[in-house]
Amino acid sequence: MSAFKPVLTEYIHQKDCHTLSFYKSVGGYSALDKVLKMNPADVIQEVKDSNLRGRGGAGFPAGVKWGFIPKDTNKPKYLINNADESEPGTFKDRLLMNKAPHQMLEGMIIAAYAIGCQTSFIYIRGEFYKEYKMLEMAVAKAYESNLLGQNILGSNYNLDVIIHRGAGAYICGEETGLIESLEGKRGWPRIKPPFPAIEGYLQCPTIVNNVETLSCLPHIINRGADWFKSIGPEKGPGPRLFCISGRVNNPGVFEEPMGISLNNLIFDRAGGIPDGKNLKAVFPGGSSSAILTAEEALDVNMDFDELVEKGSMLGSAGVIVMDETVDMVQACLNIARFYAHESCGQCTPCREGTAWLVKMLTRLVNGSGTPTDIDMIFEITDNIGGLIDFSKGSFGKTICPFGEAVAWPVRSFVEKFKDEFLKYLPQEKVIA
Amino acid sequence: MPLIKIDDKEIQVESGTTVLQTAEANGIEIPQYCYHPALEIVGSCRMCLVQVEGMPKLQVSCNTFVGDVPPDRKVEGKYDMVIHTQNNLVVQERKNILEFLLLNHPLDCPVCDQAGECLLQDYSFKFGSAHSRFEEEKRVRPNEYLGSQIVINHNRCILCSRCVRFTQEISGTSELFVEARGYKSKIAALEDRPLDNLLAGNVADICPVGALLSTDYIHKNRIWNLEKQPSVCQDCSVGCNVDVFSRKNQNFRLTARENQDVNGYFMCDIGRYGFHRFEEIDRVVQPMMRNGETFEALDWDKAIQKTAKLIEQAKEKTARIGSPFHTNESNFLLGQMMAGILGSLPPILGEEINYPSGFRISTDRSPNLRGMTDICGEIPENFLFELNDRNICGLYILDDGVDRDLDDVWKDILARMDFVIVQSYAMTDLAKSAHIVLPGLAPFEREGTITNDQGRVQWLRPSLPVQGEAKPDWEILALVMKEMHPEQQPMQDISQVMKEMGAKFPAYKDISFFRLGSTGISLNGSDEA
Repeated sequence: MSAFKPVLTEYIHQKDCHTLSFYKSVGGYSALDKVLKMNPADVIQEVKDSNLRGRGGAGFPAGVKWGFIPKDTNKPKYLINNADESEPGTFKDRLLMNKAPHQMLEGMIIAAYAIGCQTSFIYIRGEFYKEYKMLEMAVAKAYESNLLGQNILGSNYNLDVIIHRGAGAYICGEETGLIESLEGKRGWPRIKPPFPAIEGYLQCPTIVNNVETLSCLPHIINRGADWFKSIGPEKGPGPRLFCISGRVNNPGVFEEPMGISLNNLIFDRAGGIPDGKNLKAVFPGGSSSAILTAEEALDVNMDFDELVEKGSMLGSAGVIVMDETVDMVQACLNIARFYAHESCGQCTPCREGTAWLVKMLTRLVNGSGTPTDIDMIFEITDNIGGLIDFSKGSFGKTICPFGEAVAWPVRSFVEKFKDEFLKYLPQEKVIA
Repeated sequence: MPLIKIDDKEIQVESGTTVLQTAEANGIEIPQYCYHPALEIVGSCRMCLVQVEGMPKLQVSCNTFVGDVPPDRKVEGKYDMVIHTQNNLVVQERKNILEFLLLNHPLDCPVCDQAGECLLQDYSFKFGSAHSRFEEEKRVRPNEYLGSQIVINHNRCILCSRCVRFTQEISGTSELFVEARGYKSKIAALEDRPLDNLLAGNVADICPVGALLSTDYIHKNRIWNLEKQPSVCQDCSVGCNVDVFSRKNQNFRLTARENQDVNGYFMCDIGRYGFHRFEEIDRVVQPMMRNGETFEALDWDKAIQKTAKLIEQAKEKTARIGSPFHTNESNFLLGQMMAGILGSLPPILGEEINYPSGFRISTDRSPNLRGMTDICGEIPENFLFELNDRNICGLYILDDGVDRDLDDVWKDILARMDFVIVQSYAMTDLAKSAHIVLPGLAPFEREGTITNDQGRVQWLRPSLPVQGEAKPDWEILALVMKEMHPEQQPMQDISQVMKEMGAKFPAYKDISFFRLGSTGISLNGSDEA
């Protein structure tokens, strides 16, 4: 593992790494040159072969997604770069936009070319003002250098990139919520089917890809699918930006191969827990992944499938570390409060259930809980997001995965740290 | 055609139909809130979840489409889809959704106008839990006016967004939106654009719960005390299908009734609140004859005799004036009464409004212009000149009860007549100038057929009892005819009139209440195969 050399963040510590001239000096836009001479279908095949999986959270194979675009349509096709990075504990896209905007743009042009799109959008989180300015500059520079606009690099291929700022809603990171928002509507996720690849932006075929996913593309084109696949587990390979925050000595973004052990990430890369405290729990993939206990965390590799087996997910790779001083009930309330605040309010279970959880947890924290509350929290989370246990029945009860995003972590807190919840009950009510 | 199994029923369905539609068409109830057949599918209430075999999650039946699957993927070797709407998983899920919906609901059915026709009440009763597990404080919000006639009770709202979609898709006016987010979401009207379009009343109709209320009906009555009469709106020539809710001798409200060939699911507020016009009118409830400046009461026999005598003396110098506000039957008998000239009063016109959804309000604000022109007989264009040319000295007018400003030409004509007989339910200016007034029925008392501007004959049904000695207009005309032509077979009932009508006008052949049913028959023959 020590031989791994960063791919996406190789140059981020160098002066002027965000500029076009710097990016070109390290071989930037050479992949684009190559792609423009390729058949779009071959580009899609190359990406399919690379097993590149989405870096936004769901981990859907990017090439497969592109393949859903109908071949026989006269409608325009759109590419949307999802830069709404809003998952708590996730701050990798911000880094990529700040330090390597042209890498991302090159990725966008490659993806757009592959799916036959002539107008693409960057939907950037509203709070990212500095990054927005950075992208504006990069896009202007790209137009200037004929990397965007008409007849890109003399190839007869045209592409426009439009930057659109969000207005600060978590839900607009969900792809159909994002599309609605981009259309100027309320950011309410759409019911599927139809999926965006068939009917997305303005009812036209649309692909939504994450900043990091797109940033991988130039490297896949340049070095080939086999190289990409050789990094980490074959089913979910490639370099990955891990965001480590919380109780660690050295928080930040770390680029590591997919499949690195969580133990390694926390104790090696992020410098371990400060003040000699013990590890208590970890969110492996943003706050919507089920929490792992210290024991589980020390024995898991950061791989899509392995984390699913462990009942959690890799998500956005936002690793939030908690040490023994963290009060898990308070932390759980914090998470529940965040999701209640961000629920779009469309689906009944999510709108009503998230607020119910907050009310109940608040009462518990204030010392008025009852033993039945704890079982109730289980039931409510099941009713919002469905059971994680497939054998017991359905899971996913809302239009978008937001329901699961709140149900899983809250449920995992109660499941794994039940004794802490019990401690909050007024003493006379605890039944041994 | 795909073969599916819902519960234990095997059904062949058209490819592309939804599970919800299929279930409803086959008598299987699937509860629903946000789904409305006229509005875009959003699938947000989650009430219509069903289990589809082979799918990992429960599916919203409103957005699950049935299609052919390849032979190797058929369930049990033959089904394109196998759906469960009654199993434990689905039943439990409904219970869960209802629990969420009722968390902050005030449970104030005893004072709620929707009670009795409330989907939240009905489904809670059928599928919900008898007690609540919610121990927290409820979210309480004050009522708000969304427009001058619509008030919202936020505490009862389940945010199905039907009303929002209605203003976006049907009226195209977009006054409503969902404000704030998540738990704080609520329906609101734009600050500078209150919900005051002419279709606004429909949002109260389509609200599945007691959240959106028409101020016109609020706290007026309980729905189970009201009589529901399917009928047709009489406020323009579109002829929207309506349900009229009444009790004793008072109408309480009108709601739109579905008719895909006419109005879809909706009606306009002109028609919805139009019934109030007839509440405070100066009714004529017995036959009257002029005596100098005043009128004196007559009994029917005398009134009919005098009427017939006046007409017989003047013979063809009597002109008859039909009315687009009256039924086909009345206009038909007026036309058949005698030979001579026919005319009509000046039309009542309003603004024509076309909505993006195709819903329209006609410029002609009478319900039966088409029927009158079809069936009354030829009305010359220059009718007023003809009155002069033919030395007309008497008028028999089917008055429509509308107070119109008659111009000088009309006033001259009325003043010049030897006699004017007016068949009317109200003391209009016309009736005041009459020599004999024969009391007919007011719009909500009448029964008969009317023909809309697209040539659809529909059944107009009464919701209010006849007042005083008034008689159905066709019957008055029949009595006059009987007096004038004792040798002819008299008309005994309205179906006999309709038969005669069909005999004289082939387009109206075979029209009967039974055949009209609740949605009517098109004269163009398109839907009558």
